[in-house]
Amino acid sequence: MTTLDTRPIHDEVPGNYLTFRRGILSWIFTLDHKRIGVMYLVAVLVSFFVGGVMALLVRTKLLFPGEVEWMTFDQYNKAFTLHGAIMVFLVIIPSIPAALGNFVLPIMLGAKDVAFPRLNLFSFYLWIMGAICAVYSLIAGGFDTGWTFYTPYSSQFSTGGTIPVLVGVFILGFSSIFTGVNFVVTIHKLRPPGMTWFRMPLFLWALYATALIQILATPVLGITVALLVVERAFNIGIFDPVMGGDPVLFQHFFWFYSHPAVYIMILPGMGIISEIIAVHSHRHIFGFRFIAFSSIAIAIFSFLVWGHHMFTSGQSPLMNVLFSAITFSVAIPSAVKVFNWLATLYKGSISLNTAMWYGLSFIFLFTIGGLTGIPLAVLSTDIHLHDTYFVVAHFHYVMMGSALIAMIGGLHHWWPKMTGRMFNETWGKIGCALVFVGFNMTFFTQFMLGSQGMPRRYYMYKPEFQIYHHISTGGSYIMGLGFVITAIYLLHSLFAGRKAPANPWGGASLEWQCTSPPPHDNFSVTPRVGDCYDFSAVSWDEKQQGYVVDVEAHVAAAQSGKGH
Amino acid sequence: MSHSASHADSHGHGSHGHGDHAKYPFLAHHFDTPNQQFESGKLGMWVFLATEVLFFGALFVMYAILRFKDPQVFSYAANYLDTILGGINTCVLILSSLTMAIGVRAAQTNKKGLLSLCLALTLAGAIGFLVIKYFEYTHKFHLNLKWGQAFYQPVTEADAAAAKVEAKPVENPVLAISSPNPSAGASTVSLASPPPADKTAIAAPKMGPDGVATTEMVEAVDKPVHAAHPEGPHLLDPDMPANTHRFFAIYYIMTGLHGIHVVIGVGVIGWLLVGSLRGRYSSDYYTPVDLVGLYWHVVDLVWIFLFPLFYLIH
Amino acid sequence: MTNLMTTLLMQSSTAAEGPTPKTFWLPEGASTFAEQNDWVFNFINYINYFFFFLVIGLMVVFVWKYRQKGREVYARGPNHNTLLELGWTIIPTILVVFIFFIGFRGFVSMKTVPANAYQIDVTALRYGWVFKYPNGATSEDLYVPAGKPVKLVMRSEDVLHSLYIRDFRVKQDVVPGRYTTMWFQADHPTQGEDFHDLFCTEFCGTGHSNMNRKVFVLAEADFDSWVVEQGRWLDKIAPEELYSKAGPKLFARCAGCHTLDGKPGTGPSWGNYDGSGNIWERTSKAASAHKVSGKSVSELVGAGKQYETPEGYLRASILNPNEHIVDGYGPAMPTFRGQLSDKAIQALIDMMKHLDEFDAKGNFVGKK
Repeated sequence: MTTLDTRPIHDEVPGNYLTFRRGILSWIFTLDHKRIGVMYLVAVLVSFFVGGVMALLVRTKLLFPGEVEWMTFDQYNKAFTLHGAIMVFLVIIPSIPAALGNFVLPIMLGAKDVAFPRLNLFSFYLWIMGAICAVYSLIAGGFDTGWTFYTPYSSQFSTGGTIPVLVGVFILGFSSIFTGVNFVVTIHKLRPPGMTWFRMPLFLWALYATALIQILATPVLGITVALLVVERAFNIGIFDPVMGGDPVLFQHFFWFYSHPAVYIMILPGMGIISEIIAVHSHRHIFGFRFIAFSSIAIAIFSFLVWGHHMFTSGQSPLMNVLFSAITFSVAIPSAVKVFNWLATLYKGSISLNTAMWYGLSFIFLFTIGGLTGIPLAVLSTDIHLHDTYFVVAHFHYVMMGSALIAMIGGLHHWWPKMTGRMFNETWGKIGCALVFVGFNMTFFTQFMLGSQGMPRRYYMYKPEFQIYHHISTGGSYIMGLGFVITAIYLLHSLFAGRKAPANPWGGASLEWQCTSPPPHDNFSVTPRVGDCYDFSAVSWDEKQQGYVVDVEAHVAAAQSGKGH
Repeated sequence: MSHSASHADSHGHGSHGHGDHAKYPFLAHHFDTPNQQFESGKLGMWVFLATEVLFFGALFVMYAILRFKDPQVFSYAANYLDTILGGINTCVLILSSLTMAIGVRAAQTNKKGLLSLCLALTLAGAIGFLVIKYFEYTHKFHLNLKWGQAFYQPVTEADAAAAKVEAKPVENPVLAISSPNPSAGASTVSLASPPPADKTAIAAPKMGPDGVATTEMVEAVDKPVHAAHPEGPHLLDPDMPANTHRFFAIYYIMTGLHGIHVVIGVGVIGWLLVGSLRGRYSSDYYTPVDLVGLYWHVVDLVWIFLFPLFYLIH
Repeated sequence: MTNLMTTLLMQSSTAAEGPTPKTFWLPEGASTFAEQNDWVFNFINYINYFFFFLVIGLMVVFVWKYRQKGREVYARGPNHNTLLELGWTIIPTILVVFIFFIGFRGFVSMKTVPANAYQIDVTALRYGWVFKYPNGATSEDLYVPAGKPVKLVMRSEDVLHSLYIRDFRVKQDVVPGRYTTMWFQADHPTQGEDFHDLFCTEFCGTGHSNMNRKVFVLAEADFDSWVVEQGRWLDKIAPEELYSKAGPKLFARCAGCHTLDGKPGTGPSWGNYDGSGNIWERTSKAASAHKVSGKSVSELVGAGKQYETPEGYLRASILNPNEHIVDGYGPAMPTFRGQLSDKAIQALIDMMKHLDEFDAKGNFVGKK
């Protein structure tokens, strides 16, 4: 068939998006979603390493229960605040949608680009501006409020870098909003014929649900930080009790965004896992409709539960009860997704690539993260656990152990597509194993620390907790090593990796039906849509050392009604 | 559901869509048909406006909370707003929305001259709104009707003397601290004393468990009688409720943010005007006019909510 | 059902011998809440273990059993199964509803303050706590009577704090500008020097991890006499011994921000740090180099000036600290009006006059 570009790799592929135009200006002014995705990827990964260094600083201090000469109380407070703010605003929230989503979404959808490419580039530059504000805030004195910026500490006290970082967060919020606008319109309007909603891969459903949250929740964050800036600069009196304000009001405004934000972080990750599990098990995803609908349901319910971060804040007991009850409504769809993925493994044909290792790690870590959310959602147990290391462990399991692991898994899954290179699988698995073991060592001990009563954001602690901290810090170094190894072999593959076939893993969605790397305009003819989880038309091609999709058979199978 | 993409199989490889793109110079490369582009732009603008609704919505929630907590503040302070100027501004904006809508219709029906006229009128309306706002704001600034502690600075020497106001720290008995925001730089706040008998006019400090409130107040002696609809100094008004500064804070924040959106509107409508004078828009391609029109209507709509909430409800 | 669960899951009996001992997950339980609610935590834990091993077990089994053979790609397996999907949705829903309910019941009890609760007023500040008893006695550490419900009415001087007593399983944020309350009942007196930990668990600044205090539970008779003693302790000290006996105890409250040996802190050290002498010397000298509000402190202290005596100035610094701020420092000091009696302030000023008789930690060591 000549409609698809699956020329054998040993023929020189005439051009791809990387070679399309050369020179730094062609990147700075690019409108190509793939290039924008790559730029985001580099930016996000660099921020991840910076945030990771902050974390290692924090963990290293925590080897010692008392004061140390080389880090003061204030420096420690700034280190953990910076770690949180960088990771939340610069890394996890943009990571999957902006870095992987930008690259994959149009191709997977069958479009040539996102709906608004210039807006897309603008979103990227907004991210850069937000990052610059964050860096500037360090020079301006740093900020030590915790990434949650609770008032009145952040409005009355704290240090000079607080306003710049809040401005940075405001700008980053708009980066996120515009990405969300772009994705919603792209998915609604740029689908090719045959790509109905129920033919769309689950990653796109996840990105769509995420975009809904980005659009509706992020403006509230924008206003919240803007109000905090005004409060801090002019003391207008909305959060400062001296001038008649209410500190808890800030918490309501803040968490109204920040709770949906955590679903911005996890939903795309879940979408990636759906893809990885299905493709690497070579099996149709189990329960497509449920997974698709559950993403939307989670997005909607996520707006109703913010108060479960505030059970001890002084809000009324009635509010506490309502928020606790509704919180379980978001827990159930997430749990059922895990069962669906397990059922996808059942009777599959599972190839244990590095991406699949990450996928399986996700299931392990997300199960723990999700289950430990239950004692936090339950009122009587949360009173004991709130603001302790138990919460820290829980959110690291879901934000890092799940969302970030999914992102790295997705990175490995789409690495051949993005770069045209295969990485070394052995090193990939070593990296994954180190990260997995290190992660569990670091954070599982923190559950125990928390339930035994160690509060969070503590520079000093009681000596009885020291053994836990030693294990935790040891784990963090192992994890750091794993990430460094991952970076090394991925970078190495760019120069010396085997050239990638179009379809190294045997996927059936549209992105596997163009070359690796894709051509500049993705598809020279309108792609033809089948069931992206139907692998009946996929077969291994020895010459290419990759899989091939027989498009005619694939499309015919879909039209004959074999479906979800 | 996907009805707007074209069928390409008959064209063969490589030539899909080139015909359309040659025919419609404004058609971007990633869209198949002008209609798809137009619909995408429209959906994008509606989605963006949804974010604006949430943006202002958060502030409306803040307004509601402040008003619910201190209703007397809002009834009182609304007197300081000039309803007539606000009313004129409302009419100006509504008219400008009308001219904008006529302009969009003109673009749709290829009446380029009318389009330019309408855009110019809309622009004039927007600028007129800003001018009136400028006068409103400066008038208030002269009277120190500002936010935060600036609200409590006496305007003139005479006022300061008349109220016998000393620079005195605000004491909150629950907090028992005597200094407001150190990072704002200002150190003290002055308060004229409402007569202690009028309980509703005093912000109720909570009594401590030992039953003692420690708010000290300065007795204002020999103050001039103060009219109910003040042009006079608010500091001297015995009926001014405590926490009135919060009204002005939320007033400036909301009308200010709205004003910023009007300024953006001025820029964008100006850009449209330039384009329309160059004949860029026609019945084939008027998407930017349509989308800016949508934006402008939402800006107008926000003002239609702001006006009664601040100016009319007493 | 509750009794069955309690018997099955509790790892020790709740007879009145002492607090429930520390387990793998939870610290010792020393309040009635611990006895009532720990089983909920344990119950959830067991459910979590079950689901965790179920999911991971299945995952491992499937990955092994269904691993790819060669390059076989098309695996035929079910795409959906309505019964199964309904089952694994409904059963967890029922479970979480039950779990919510048991948590709710425990919570209701934690929020319903008994009418006869013994009230203690709490002030949180950066960085310490002040506990005030009905007879006016104040204490740095929390002493509570055993066997009676105790209600804490809390306010903050500055920013958000949160009072957390882990052994009692209680926590409540302390919000500036309002009062928050919490209650608990501890039935087992602490023995000897043993205490329960009281932590601040809402980030409040530099000293957030350094404001831990102790909770002592005293049998009712012991508690009554302690409260009386505590209320009178200052009165019973002879004036000449005020600074040596009362000074260090009171200074503990100042130590969070003020050092005694010239080292830097949030507030100016009471010792000599800028060459103008210790706090008494630099306040009482005729032409002091110590600068306050932009001028030398000697311009404020003396006959005909704002403060007649250095004692008057120092007293004002404690009661109205932000009126004059030492150059180079910010307005971070809270007022101690209402917390320090005149006698307490006198003790502190005396201590300042005899600063050379104290070591850097504030212990009285006598003239050298």
